[in-house]
Order: sequence, then structure tokens, then C-alpha cells
Amino acid sequence: MTTRHEPVDKILASGGDLRRIASEIEQVTSAFPRRINADPEQVERGLAQLVLTLVELLRQLMERQALRRMEQGTLTDDEVERMGETFMKLERRMQDLKNHFDLEDRDLNLNLGPLGDLL
Amino acid sequence: MIHLYALVRGLDELPPLTGVEGAPLERRQIAGLDLVVSRTGQELTEVTNEAVMAHASVVEELTTRSRAILPVRFGRAFASEAELTAAVGTKAPALEHGLTRVRGCVEFGLRVLGHEPPRQGSATLSGAEYMRARLDEEAERHRLSEELHRPLALLSRAEARFGGASGDLLHAAYLVPEERTVAFRDRIAGLERLHPELTMVCTGPWPPYSFAETREDA
Amino acid sequence: MSIRDEQQLRYQVTLVELVDRVLNKGVVVAGDITLSVADGGLVYVGLRVLLSSVATLEEQRERALAAVGAQS
Repeated sequence: MTTRHEPVDKILASGGDLRRIASEIEQVTSAFPRRINADPEQVERGLAQLVLTLVELLRQLMERQALRRMEQGTLTDDEVERMGETFMKLERRMQDLKNHFDLEDRDLNLNLGPLGDLL
Repeated sequence: MIHLYALVRGLDELPPLTGVEGAPLERRQIAGLDLVVSRTGQELTEVTNEAVMAHASVVEELTTRSRAILPVRFGRAFASEAELTAAVGTKAPALEHGLTRVRGCVEFGLRVLGHEPPRQGSATLSGAEYMRARLDEEAERHRLSEELHRPLALLSRAEARFGGASGDLLHAAYLVPEERTVAFRDRIAGLERLHPELTMVCTGPWPPYSFAETREDA
Repeated sequence: MSIRDEQQLRYQVTLVELVDRVLNKGVVVAGDITLSVADGGLVYVGLRVLLSSVATLEEQRERALAAVGAQS
């Protein structure tokens, strides 16, 4: 009677850098309780990661909304210009913060599941 | 507590395998449907690696031994036979339909990560140019996503697209009839060759998890 | 990448795809699904891990404060 269960390798095909996918979802395999690093710098970085991930999510949502309205033609030229400037500024600020906390884009990549359909 | 793994058709014998928490597998007949369950002493209060793996292994083994299978989502166990019977009874027609839909098929999953072109120095762009560039980028991603998805969808009985991570170009599952799996694999290989710049992972064959739940109006 | 690393990666990716299916897909046969730990399952884990880091941070801070309070 088999009592141990190990997942069979299910990878049919893969192209490109598998590490990108694995690292993006790496958090998942260590999702079950683990020791948290108490180093203050790491803790601060962890908080920054959380906050910036959410900010990035909101930024994407807002940008997506603005693009939809732009397509529908419900934004004036002036509004488009100002929105573009705002998003650019926000992007620059985000980059500064990411650099400061040594975070990459993939650190802020939130897998939304069903919520991703909103994007 | 009764843990439910799957509904099956055409299963001769249960596989020589134990289930969650090492409990033996059992069968139930409810509303003309064939269920595979196991009984545990108490309700699972925690989703553990072991329990998830056990569930997955049972479903995997059942798939190879059945003509059709509806994998059940890992979740709450049933407190009694009566509760199980009631729950299945309510959903029987949809479950029958589901079994028919997945019969003779396997599932393949595909995840394709975006290839982000480096954004040009924002300092040189006007607000309007930035927004225009975003629109173009979006259109290109959509076009590429369709280019990958459509040929695979054509080979499938059903397909499902997921929102996925914000960086995903495409995250989808395909319900592919057995006789088309070779063509499907070839198509994946072809898409990979066409797009060496993309990071993609195709997994499978899976039991048809993503196609087990059917909409009532489908 | 070494063969071993490659295998480890494949294992990880397979695991994630598998757990995603078991926890988030499959047919729902119950009035309500209540997963005490992994509600929403795999796909929210990234955020959940961060949130649990924050919770632990709070605990640590409280303990640190309590320790300081005990000393003074």
C-alpha cells in the first residue's frame, strides 16, 4: 500500500528561463509556516515589499482604467497629458523606492488569481 | 469526517493507495454517481503538504483507471453520509454533465511570462506620448497572447484563461481529447521555437481540475 | 544550471501547478468551502506570506517593547 505521495514531474515543455517562473512563485513552496528573519533591515524590506506591491497593484489598476477611458475617448487631451505625467512620476518614484530597498519587479509581482481578471 | 476526492465513471477497482491521513479509499453511489472518498477521524483544521499531496495522488491514480473523472477541490470534509448525499444530490445534473464533458480528455496548463521591453527614459516623453506608448504595449501583449492561445484553443474541447500574475502574458488551461495530445504537444513545441524570447512552461497531462466545475448555463 | 538545480526547479514548478489545481480548481461539492489556512489558496500566498511577516514583526516589536519595559 503506497503511503508516500510525491508529485510526478509534470513539465511537458518549457522554454526560456525557468528560474523566472520558479522565483516568481517561489514564495508559494515556502508558504507553510517558516522561520521569519528578525534582522531589522530584512524586516523593513519585507514591509516595503508589501507596501510597494500594493502600490504597484493600484498603479496598474489606475493606469488600466485610464487607458480604457482613453480608448473610449472620454478623456480630453489635457487630461491624457496630465495622467501620463502623473503615471510617469509615479513610476519614477516607485523605481527610486525599489532601488532603495533593493527590490526587483518580480518581488512586487502579485499573483492575483481570480482578481487578476479585474486587471 | 468524509473526504471526497473525485467523481468517476468507468472505474473498475480502487487503486492500491491510501488517502489523506493514511485512510483507506472507499466508494459511494449517490444519485447515480460514483464517488471516491475516505474517512478521517476529525476535520482537517489545517491544509498540510501531506494532505494536499495525498489528495492529488489519489486523483492521479483514479484518472488512469477511469473513463471520466471530476476532481473535487480540496476543502471542507463532510460531517456525515447524509450531508454528502445532500450536497451531491443537489448538484447531480451538473456533475453528470461535467463527467461527459471531460470524458476522454486530459488537461494541459500553460504559463507564459511577459517579455518586458525596457522602458525608454521617461524624462524624454510627454504625458500623452507615455499614455500612447502604454496603449501600444497593451495591444502588443494582447496580440501576442492571442497568437499563442488560439492555435491551442483550436485543438481543445474547452479552454480557460486565468487572470494570473500581473506579469503574465498568458495563463491558461486546455481540455484536450486524447487523440489530439500529440498534435497539442507539437503545437507547443512550435510556439516555443517561434518565440525564444518568451519564458513559457507547459505542464501536464493533468486530471481535468480546471474543467471540473461547470457553469449551470453552459 | 546544474542538473540538480534543474531538477529542483522542475519539482518546484510542478508542485506549484499541482497545489494550485488541488486548492483552487476542481469541482466544489459543498454549500461553502472553508479552508482554514489556505483560503484562496495558492494564488494569494505571496501576499499572505508578506502579511504573516508583518504580523510576526508586530509580535516581535511588542515583545521587544515588553522587554525594554521590564528593564526600566
